[in-house]
Amino acid sequence: MARAARASTRIDAALLVICTLLALLAIVLPAPARDAIAAGFQRTLSRPLLALQQRSERARAAFVEREGLTARIDSLSLQVTELQGLDAENARLRRLLAMSPRVGRGFVPAEALHGQVTGESHTVLVTVGSRAGVVPNSPVVAPDGVVGRVTSVSPTSSQVILWSHPDFRVSAMSADGGTFGIVTPHLKDGASCEGMDESSCAGPERLLLEMRGVAFRDVLKQGTLVVSSGLGGVFPKGMAIGTVIGELKTTEQWTRTYLVRPATRPQDLSNVLVLAPGLVREELPALWNNPNAAEVVMSTVIAAGDSITRQAAAALVDARRRADSVTAARDAATQAAKDSVAASLAADSIAAGGSAMTVAPSAQPPVIRPPRRDSTPRRP
Amino acid sequence: MSVQRALRLILLFLVLIVLHFTLRPVLAWRAEADFLVLAVLLAAVRLRPGAAAALGFVVGILCDALVPVSFGAGAFTLAVIGFAASWLKAVFFSDNVLLHAFFFFAGKWVYDILFLILERQMGAGAMVTQLLVWSPLAAALTALTGLIVIMLFRNMLEGAPA
Repeated sequence: MARAARASTRIDAALLVICTLLALLAIVLPAPARDAIAAGFQRTLSRPLLALQQRSERARAAFVEREGLTARIDSLSLQVTELQGLDAENARLRRLLAMSPRVGRGFVPAEALHGQVTGESHTVLVTVGSRAGVVPNSPVVAPDGVVGRVTSVSPTSSQVILWSHPDFRVSAMSADGGTFGIVTPHLKDGASCEGMDESSCAGPERLLLEMRGVAFRDVLKQGTLVVSSGLGGVFPKGMAIGTVIGELKTTEQWTRTYLVRPATRPQDLSNVLVLAPGLVREELPALWNNPNAAEVVMSTVIAAGDSITRQAAAALVDARRRADSVTAARDAATQAAKDSVAASLAADSIAAGGSAMTVAPSAQPPVIRPPRRDSTPRRP
Repeated sequence: MSVQRALRLILLFLVLIVLHFTLRPVLAWRAEADFLVLAVLLAAVRLRPGAAAALGFVVGILCDALVPVSFGAGAFTLAVIGFAASWLKAVFFSDNVLLHAFFFFAGKWVYDILFLILERQMGAGAMVTQLLVWSPLAAALTALTGLIVIMLFRNMLEGAPA
């Protein structure tokens, strides 16, 4: 019994010694052999463990990256939203750009700043003032048509009443010039808002205009374009005001009143042109009647870009040509200097009565080697 | 040990090995429970010292293969830990919970000490910090985990021959 126990103990000790020796051998193995054995284990016995670990680490990495990806998606969404705004602004500016040649030199581009107060919803502040040549009663237009009129001017900004303001009036006519009237904001129940709080006049109706005082014999069809007639002295002739929606029933017997859908929407205003009454052309009929204006401007811009590119390319070629010529001149000068040095050396050797060695004029000068950087003594 | 009990022990051993390679990478704590040491310790106290050393060696060499830089260090350490645990089981492995905890704690700490010395990858300062700060924390976590395992699988483990 004791012998059996002793044998078992010896076996246990032998196993421990074998295992520890093998492990120590594995530790002191050279790296290539160790890596080869480890790779063998990884391909066979340790493979399930490796797969488990890889899967877990992948899951953890995905979990950790989740928040970052969410944040990235959020920021990209924000950027997309901002880009949409930029797209809209870009389109508006292009349309303004398309208008400017036809307006002539009598305009000032400006930004419209909407007030935050409910009571000021029918006025905007534009970012140009008297320093830019804006004067009271200057018409304000957008690519779509009439926006409003300047009421007060400071050096750097101007107050503008929009077409929805109760005080807004514009002398109007149909686009064919056959029908005339006065366009005013369409107030609630046809009543005036004078003396009332502006917010009480607000409502869906305020988004429309009325063309009043149209002769009873003149009938306007739905969709007829209404433009400024230029008779009022403020707005030049031909500025788009809106389109006829239908006739309004009123108590007036000898005139007609038409409901007009405005060409511009106050809430969408951001970039406008303030016209200088003294400088603007007499008539602006072509200002809103050319649907291809934006494309024309785009092609002009592209052509200008092409010409600039061509100019830049030509300048680059010219610069390279100059650089080449300078390099050639420098090479020629260097060669001439070498020739003269060689000739003088030959002349000196002949004069010294040396051998009859002749030196060709084009012989290379002696090569001057740079000193050695290392100070190691060379063996003979 | 009956066949049924042996199968249960093997099952628990495999579960702990799987946890070592699934739970630890997910948690990725600085000080973490070592399921590998736990599995070897729990198996070693039910085996003869020689078999426990062989088991520790095999488990260690398989795990070392995943990190060839320390190839052999884990095998050596687990072989020694397994042998020692099996040899000392009469002393340590009783029904006292605190002794169980101390058993796991000491096993894990000794494992870390031997492994870090044999691995030779750390500087002296880092090794001291590791052995005196992080290793005891990891050992404590291992002990706690070991106690939870014992409580959960008491029926499976109890009655093991001494």
